[in-house]
Amino acid sequence: MRRRSGNPGSVFPGIALVGGLLAAPLFLPLYHVNLLTEVIVFALYAVSYNLLLGYAGLLSFGHAMFFGTGAYVTAVALAHLPGLSVGSAILLSVAAATLAGVVTGALLLRHKGSYFALLTLAFNALFYAVATKWHSVTGGDDGLSVNRPNLDFLGVHLDLSDITTFYYFALITVGALIGYCWHFTHTAMGRTVLLVRENEERMKFLGYDTNISRLLLFTFTGALAGCAGSYYALFFEFTSISAISIEMTTTVLLMTFIGGTGSFLGPVLGALVYTLLHDKLSDITDRWPLIMGLIFIVMVLYVPGGLSGLIVSIRERLAGTAGKNAAQPLEGRKP
Amino acid sequence: MKDNGRILEVRDLYKDFSGLEVLAGVSFQVAQGERHAVIGPNGAGKTTLFNVITGKYKPSGGSILFQGRDITGRPPHQLCRMKISRSFQITNAFQELTVFENVRSGVRCLHGLRYHFFRRVDRDVAVNRRTEELLHLVGLGSVADAPVSTLSYGQQRALEIALTLSTDPELILLDEPTAGMTREETAEAIQLIDRVTRGKTLIIIEHDMDVVFSLADRISVLHYGRILASDRPHVIRDDQRVKDAYLGEG
Repeated sequence: MRRRSGNPGSVFPGIALVGGLLAAPLFLPLYHVNLLTEVIVFALYAVSYNLLLGYAGLLSFGHAMFFGTGAYVTAVALAHLPGLSVGSAILLSVAAATLAGVVTGALLLRHKGSYFALLTLAFNALFYAVATKWHSVTGGDDGLSVNRPNLDFLGVHLDLSDITTFYYFALITVGALIGYCWHFTHTAMGRTVLLVRENEERMKFLGYDTNISRLLLFTFTGALAGCAGSYYALFFEFTSISAISIEMTTTVLLMTFIGGTGSFLGPVLGALVYTLLHDKLSDITDRWPLIMGLIFIVMVLYVPGGLSGLIVSIRERLAGTAGKNAAQPLEGRKP
Repeated sequence: MKDNGRILEVRDLYKDFSGLEVLAGVSFQVAQGERHAVIGPNGAGKTTLFNVITGKYKPSGGSILFQGRDITGRPPHQLCRMKISRSFQITNAFQELTVFENVRSGVRCLHGLRYHFFRRVDRDVAVNRRTEELLHLVGLGSVADAPVSTLSYGQQRALEIALTLSTDPELILLDEPTAGMTREETAEAIQLIDRVTRGKTLIIIEHDMDVVFSLADRISVLHYGRILASDRPHVIRDDQRVKDAYLGEG
């Protein structure tokens, strides 16, 4: 039988990563465990963005509208619905982001290329304006504080206010989601999205409704971003307008580009590097975005494949020309 | 069959591109199981006719009936699922993907594996088997794992035919499948087309008159956006208007 799966070489780093992450609280100080939780949340956000940009080739400047929607729905729901469980809050956020994805996607996806990109920017600004002005619900510029409830699920009781416990909660649930996203890239839908990016006309003539496939993917990645936003609110125990701002879109763009859009795990690496850099740089100077911007410029100019692209090319150079002519399973967009 | 054995009926089809009239009232019929060649000089509107029939462009006027149903202006993906499939004059494939995945994408569409969020495309036995069958049918079995961009020209043309067949069509439209081929390659390609379209209905755009007269049951001559004649090969060969317009004195 033919084996038509991705190359196993890209699975092993994933397994090593999971093992390291599970053991991390044993040797890392709490501060770093907390930081790692932040990385996990942003990793989901970046993976969702890469499915849109790397796999489907859709450049969106509005991904924060879903992330922010998720963060706000969790904050508002936990504030107004006493006894709401963590899981229900997350699911509500996902539902809201899904709805937002369908509605905005139906409007945005009528346009392509730079028109699409600019419209996503405009829609993000709209969401931002709503969050700022709708003071009675969102708290406006003051933001909303979030009470992270404890987890009671099937007789399991977890005190999520504990940093390490919340870390494991995020690692396992978000990790499962990212694992599903990996699986998604091999499913019929995942391949359809990639093939539409490669040759939309042929896909139409092979019987695919490419508008439907784009809308499904846009909504799916919006829902994932909304889920990440919900974890973000739970993690910081606070939601402010920064969660839905253009800067939050720029953040995910930076993470994805730093990590590289050409591989599945690239954005995860990007989320790690970005979060650690942010942590170090903001200790040194308030002008950290300046340095981040410079890093971004250097990356785009000299390492367009991102860090994961760099790793791949180094590995290929070490391995010589062996396997050069083998068919590479096409994944995200190679610059 | 429905509609007196007609699978396709084109009635008074018009298409203009911002004032330039490329199709100016095209009417012709294709019978079930027929091999129908469309010939005509460059710029006669042959490819535009294909584009309008297969839904790439909406016609400016007229109607198209497939198996008695009006399909005018339907999008390509719907026509594909109604069992109409076409090839392109210039190979229109997924260049960076393997030959196998190219053909599989048509096969799995037929099997309803289009937008599934959970089922993997590479584990469906029926889809894989059918894809391999098709690849062997067109002689691409040995390069299944190669990216399309590494194929020779002749192999790319064979892939174009495999892609066209992958959705199991009843009506097959081939747009110059032998364009750019040597005589030997053309002969091989025509043998292949003859083999794989048996029992189906074929409409083919072709410039090689030897091929046209040996393969086709009927021929339509398109000239300046109109059908000059549509008849059996021997009638077309002797038609004075066709001679004047296209075939020349030879």
